[in-house]
Amino acid sequence: MKKVLSETNGALFSLPWLVAKDYGFFEAEGIDMEFVDTPVSGIVEHTQDPEKVNPVLAHTPFEEGRVSIYRA
Amino acid sequence: MVHPDSLHYYPGTLGNVPVAVNFHAGSHYTALRLLEGYLPPEKIQVVHYGSPQHRFEALMNREIEAAAVMEPYIALAEKLGCRAVCEGHYLGAENASDDMDEDTFNAINRAVANAIDLIDADKRKYLHYLIDEPRFAPLAAKWGGLTPEDFHLPRLRYTKQAPYTDEIVEDTYHWMVRWNLLNQSVCATDFVDNRLAEPVSASADD
Repeated sequence: MKKVLSETNGALFSLPWLVAKDYGFFEAEGIDMEFVDTPVSGIVEHTQDPEKVNPVLAHTPFEEGRVSIYRA
Repeated sequence: MVHPDSLHYYPGTLGNVPVAVNFHAGSHYTALRLLEGYLPPEKIQVVHYGSPQHRFEALMNREIEAAAVMEPYIALAEKLGCRAVCEGHYLGAENASDDMDEDTFNAINRAVANAIDLIDADKRKYLHYLIDEPRFAPLAAKWGGLTPEDFHLPRLRYTKQAPYTDEIVEDTYHWMVRWNLLNQSVCATDFVDNRLAEPVSASADD
């Protein structure tokens, strides 16, 4: 089995991935899929300037190389 | 969406009205794309409120007049009397790191495509994943709860993966540059690498 770590940032965007894991579709493909939650953003400064907000947002597990795939 | 007491019924009255979004994410881009059809750019006031939980709470607490949210927050908001003044859809992306090999990427895509077949055959059966999601469930419980019957199923659109076309990349690039969301000193093709992406049209058994 090939180990793969993937970010999840909410069930809406990850629904097919969650179903694929629970119904054994990853396993059938030889993939040992493990999900890593993105961190909770918490209270943020309310700004109208996009340049004041880091565009990486909560995708730090991917940016730090701790997972190899994510969706947005 | 606007809260139940709001006097806004369509996007044209949202000029100079703060709208809660999450900057650099789908709610930000979709809000701009929807509002620019009704308002001049200088009257569009999108404000960074972060996560959908915070946007939803700000809306329900009347802290803000309007918020861009996605499911299952839309279903919960509508159940509580909020109104959608406009709706849009956007294309998601699977982003893999440089060290992801082609065989692994294609195996993942086949597994996900099989799951999409299941979901599209009976969407309501899988809504418990959205309702029970740990970041959403406490919020839903606080605001009266949500059931699979509360969803408008056509809003949920899961399609099989396909590479971005050059046309979509170019059109999106120029739109982002126009909104000062990208530096135009770099070109569109710098942002998308389709080397590993192949359309998924068959299940693993085919």
